[in-house]
Amino acid sequence: MEAIWLYQFRLIVIGDSTVGKSCLIRRFTEGRFAQVSDPTVGVDFFSRLVEIEPGKRIKLQIWDTAGQERFRSITRAYYRNSVGGLLLFDITNRRSFQNVHDWLEEARSHVQPHSIVFLLVGHKCDLEAQRQVTRQEAEKLAGAYGMRYVETSARDAINVEHAFTELTRDIFALVRSGEITIQEGWEGVKSGFVPNVVHSSEEVTKSDRRCLC
Amino acid sequence: MSLPSGSPEREVSTGAPPQLECPSSPTGLDPDPLSTGSPVLSPDSSSHDAALSAPAASPADSENLSPDELELLAKLEEQNRLLEADSKSMRSMSGSRRNSGSSLVSSSSASSNLSHLEEDTWILWGRIVNEWEEWRRKKDKLLKELIRKGIPHHFRAIVWQLLGNATDMPVKNQYSELLKMSSPCEKLIRRDIARTYPEHEFFKGQDSLGQEVLFNVMKAYSLVDREVGYCQGSAFIVGLLLMQMPEEEAFCVFVRLMQEYRLRELFKPSMAELGLCIYQFEYLLQEQLPELNVHFRSQSFHTSMYASSWFLTLFLTFLPLPVATRIFDIFMYEGLEIIFRVGLAILQYNQTDLIQLDMEGMSQHFQKVIPHQFDSCPDKLILRAYQVKYNPKRMKKLEKEYTTIKNKEMEEQIEIKRLRTENRLLKQRIETLEKGQVTRAQEAEENYVIKRELAVVRQQCNTASESLEKAQDTIRELQQQKYTEQFVTNLQTELEQSRLREAELQGALKEMQDKVLDLEKRSSCLPDENNMAALQEEVKQMKLRELETLRSFREMQDTVTELNQRWQHHMSRGSSTGGGGGHWKESPKKNAMNELQDKLMTVRLREAQAQAELREVKLKALQLESQNQIHSKLIGRNDQERSALQDRLQMLANQNKALQAQLSEMKRKQAESDCKSKEDVMAVRLREADSMAAMAELRQRIAELEIQKEEGLIQGQLNHSDSRQYINQLRDQIIELKNEIRLMRGQKATPSSRVGGVGGSTNYQDLCLASPASAEGDYLSSDEDLLHSPLPANALYPSLSGPCHPSPRLDSEGSTDSEAEEQVRIHPDPQQLYGSMVCAEGLEN
Repeated sequence: MEAIWLYQFRLIVIGDSTVGKSCLIRRFTEGRFAQVSDPTVGVDFFSRLVEIEPGKRIKLQIWDTAGQERFRSITRAYYRNSVGGLLLFDITNRRSFQNVHDWLEEARSHVQPHSIVFLLVGHKCDLEAQRQVTRQEAEKLAGAYGMRYVETSARDAINVEHAFTELTRDIFALVRSGEITIQEGWEGVKSGFVPNVVHSSEEVTKSDRRCLC
Repeated sequence: MSLPSGSPEREVSTGAPPQLECPSSPTGLDPDPLSTGSPVLSPDSSSHDAALSAPAASPADSENLSPDELELLAKLEEQNRLLEADSKSMRSMSGSRRNSGSSLVSSSSASSNLSHLEEDTWILWGRIVNEWEEWRRKKDKLLKELIRKGIPHHFRAIVWQLLGNATDMPVKNQYSELLKMSSPCEKLIRRDIARTYPEHEFFKGQDSLGQEVLFNVMKAYSLVDREVGYCQGSAFIVGLLLMQMPEEEAFCVFVRLMQEYRLRELFKPSMAELGLCIYQFEYLLQEQLPELNVHFRSQSFHTSMYASSWFLTLFLTFLPLPVATRIFDIFMYEGLEIIFRVGLAILQYNQTDLIQLDMEGMSQHFQKVIPHQFDSCPDKLILRAYQVKYNPKRMKKLEKEYTTIKNKEMEEQIEIKRLRTENRLLKQRIETLEKGQVTRAQEAEENYVIKRELAVVRQQCNTASESLEKAQDTIRELQQQKYTEQFVTNLQTELEQSRLREAELQGALKEMQDKVLDLEKRSSCLPDENNMAALQEEVKQMKLRELETLRSFREMQDTVTELNQRWQHHMSRGSSTGGGGGHWKESPKKNAMNELQDKLMTVRLREAQAQAELREVKLKALQLESQNQIHSKLIGRNDQERSALQDRLQMLANQNKALQAQLSEMKRKQAESDCKSKEDVMAVRLREADSMAAMAELRQRIAELEIQKEEGLIQGQLNHSDSRQYINQLRDQIIELKNEIRLMRGQKATPSSRVGGVGGSTNYQDLCLASPASAEGDYLSSDEDLLHSPLPANALYPSLSGPCHPSPRLDSEGSTDSEAEEQVRIHPDPQQLYGSMVCAEGLEN
């Protein structure tokens, strides 16, 4: 009933209120753009398949979160089970760029003992005239955190696919190299059905646990 | 989630008053509410039958009715009949009343005699509103049932206000004031305004009336309740209120909702209440829909994913507005309970579908299917909601559980944090221990290191004290320099004196020069004694020469007289011999002879005379010559004298030059000494700074050692009491070090004040008194006498400059402690005095 996929990655999309998280996800998952959409209250959920290499498909489960600070008590619970994340800021809103660090801290402190592969996204790049954050400084910041940086626009569908697939490829590479392992009780990465794979992943989990202790 | 599709229109113009008027006009209503009340109240009879509480409530209610009320109800019934009879008028009436957005009203979906029933409902609600207090008190259950059936659209504004008890609120008067103020949340609110009911007619378009009033109310509330401020989601509730009533009223109702309906807790920055609601909901889910709960868990489909918006926006962002408004009606009366009920009813209704779906499927189902399931039959949903078992006591218990869990979690979190840090510390410790392999050896090594550090610290202490001593030395030097300063002043006075002397000398020189000039003048006219002697000699010579000339003159006279005599004799002889004849014969010859002889004689006489004259002339020439000689000699002497005077002059000038050189030398020396004293002061300051730095270093070292000590302590705990002894030892060492530092600090204080004394004091006495004043402890007490001595400086001096034996006053004191003071009195030399004081200090140290 479901298309065959190799892995399922859970991604979380975070960033200040009104930076365009929901719009970006909608553009990616539904291919449309709504001029106005109601603020996310709590958490929303979306999913889509991505083909990173011919024949290799990854299922993405994407969590859309509320941007307002007080919702963090809800959104916090979703970091732990995410393997990747898009950290959005609005290039026309300097404040949202300044808050990137806080978001990262918030994510890092709640993701333990796992870790999240983040992609820094400068959103609303179609509004070049109102730009308040230069590409250079954003790239510099991303570099400082060891992240990639992509500028996107949900309205003009710029780099939306690119942002998600790049992040997916990065995570896929880490999974293949064994740096990220499938673990029981962790939803970040799940293997596509084949029973042996599940079996082997359990072994991996066990050995991994031993290492952790 | 997706937007509610329904867009009920708001009666912008109608506030409360027209709705209040409505019940007053009809008269003569149905007198029997029991027989006819039910159909009137529940247009959908099937749902009414299914309602659990209503049938039980109604009879109980009616039994309590007073005769008055019975009469009223009878009148209502009558009116009902009358209205039924004149359906046309009713229709026109309803037509004028009803708005296009009638889909909001519950009865809109009913059968053909809907409008008729609608009219009845309005009349009834008009009465309810008019006699609100009574209804609230006596027919509460009936009212509850009526609300569950849905409040008619036009009555919502007033009924919500009444239900919320928001009709007469003092905060309403503040509203206009609040609008003038600015709120810190303004920007955030502004951003969300356009996103609240964006497809609703009233809020559509930028700067529409709806957006403006929504912003006003949100802003006003954020000012009234600074703690909550603005929370996303709350705008939907306010938006719904604004669809029904003017902004002031909406504001009041919203304030009430926040205060009285747990909404405030929900929207608080911590959102703790939401967590509780989710927890309670999960409990209900587990209790009533265990299979679905298991499925959710297996799919890790968190309750918060779908339920947080249910609680935060009261289904306003989940269900279409007409349905959500019905739920809101009930919420206004019963509170959050209805949200739990409706939520569970929705899950129950969809259980079979959801169980077959995976996560994405469920998510899609929640987003796409569920919101529109009850579009046509909101009553069905409400009916189902009331079939849900809901035990308020149980919920209270859950609340308590949740708070204890939360508290525990918090404690655990703290504990985890603590354990984490502890773990990290222990890991570090293990690492360090592993590094050393043999703990003992490392301990010993550490011990050794610490000892060495201790030694270093001691050494530093020594060096510090050395530098201190040096500083004291320099202070002494400076004091000496103070003395040299005095010396310099002395020199200056001397210099002045010498300058004066020089001036005097110059004056004298000038005088001398004048005198010389004078003498020169005089010497030209006055022979001096030397001259006199020379002159006397000359006079003698002259006399001798005169005598000689006199003698020669006499000789000449003698010769002249001899000649004369000879001449006479000759004459006479000639005459005697020549007078006889022969004589005459011979006479011509003889006469010529005689004549010649005579002539010769006169010539000779003349010659002699001429010779005398010559001699006389010669004498005169001699005299003149000698006089000339004298004069030339005199001139020579004068010249000599003059050169001597000039020599002397030169000598004096040289002397003067030498003095001036000496003067400049002195000046240079003074400048030099000034420079030197400045340098020394700088050096002392530098040294002081150095020693301060050393102090700081030492302090740091101590802190380090303390840290090491603590680490040692931890290690000690780890290794049980193994290294306790060692820690104690370390602690002792640290205490020792501290003592040393304290001592040093004490020393430190002295030099700094001393330097200040040197810089600040203007005379020697001040110095004398200032430095012991800054000394500490015993020394201070020993010098108390000196310190507090009212003796003025000049009183101290005489005794110092006087004979070198102690004054009687000192004798009377006679204590050994006052030795220093004695020394002060005995030695007039300040240098010695300081020496003695430093000695005293050294002893103290």
